[in-house]
Amino acid sequence: MLSFEGAKTQGAAAITAKLTGLPFQQCQHNISTIDCQPSGPAGGVLVFVSGSLQLPGEQHALKFSQMFHLIPTPQASFYVLNDIFRLNYA
Amino acid sequence: MQKEEGEMGGGAEAQMEMVGKAFVKHYYGLFDAGSRPALAGLYHPSTSILSFEGRRFDGADSIGRHLSQLPFDLCRHMVATVDCQGSPFAAGGILVFVTGSLQLSGEEHSLSFSQMFQLVQSTEGRFYVQNDIFRLNYG
Repeated sequence: MLSFEGAKTQGAAAITAKLTGLPFQQCQHNISTIDCQPSGPAGGVLVFVSGSLQLPGEQHALKFSQMFHLIPTPQASFYVLNDIFRLNYA
Repeated sequence: MQKEEGEMGGGAEAQMEMVGKAFVKHYYGLFDAGSRPALAGLYHPSTSILSFEGRRFDGADSIGRHLSQLPFDLCRHMVATVDCQGSPFAAGGILVFVTGSLQLSGEEHSLSFSQMFQLVQSTEGRFYVQNDIFRLNYG
């Protein structure tokens, strides 16, 4: 599930549609911090990111924070179970 | 709304939001009232993990000690946003993501912060903080 600025979307197809439908072509994320912790016996990983992002044509960068909850797959990869994104206003 | 496999019913989701928001109010309430030592009771004695500005603390005692010893008397958290999500495949934890600002007594300017918690239910049915990550958001 993705919570993007408070709007919830579930499932890979809907999430992809949401992200590709965002109203800009390019974006540059500048990551300031990344913190990781194990989430429990299922082998999940919590990833907490903060930084800023620059949209083309915009004068000022926007601050953001985001968390991901990664879950291991049987094929020894990870998928994103939870994703929460927020812009950080002053 | 189409119900997919693994998706919680409307009732479970609303309950989860309620637990998450109530927890946030309780946590910052204790913190801002100056009862930081009491925060230790919200964490598990051995399995809880706090990452505070990049430093890691394990277990309720260590976490409680760090929070109690933070170098200020009073703090006021002003919560701007709270987002909750369930992680049903990970034994039913609730993920809570908070952004806002905090004001320390004596400081002229407030600081922007974000924090996430994973709340897990104990065998007695109480929720405790399994994971806690806190970061100030600098300009």
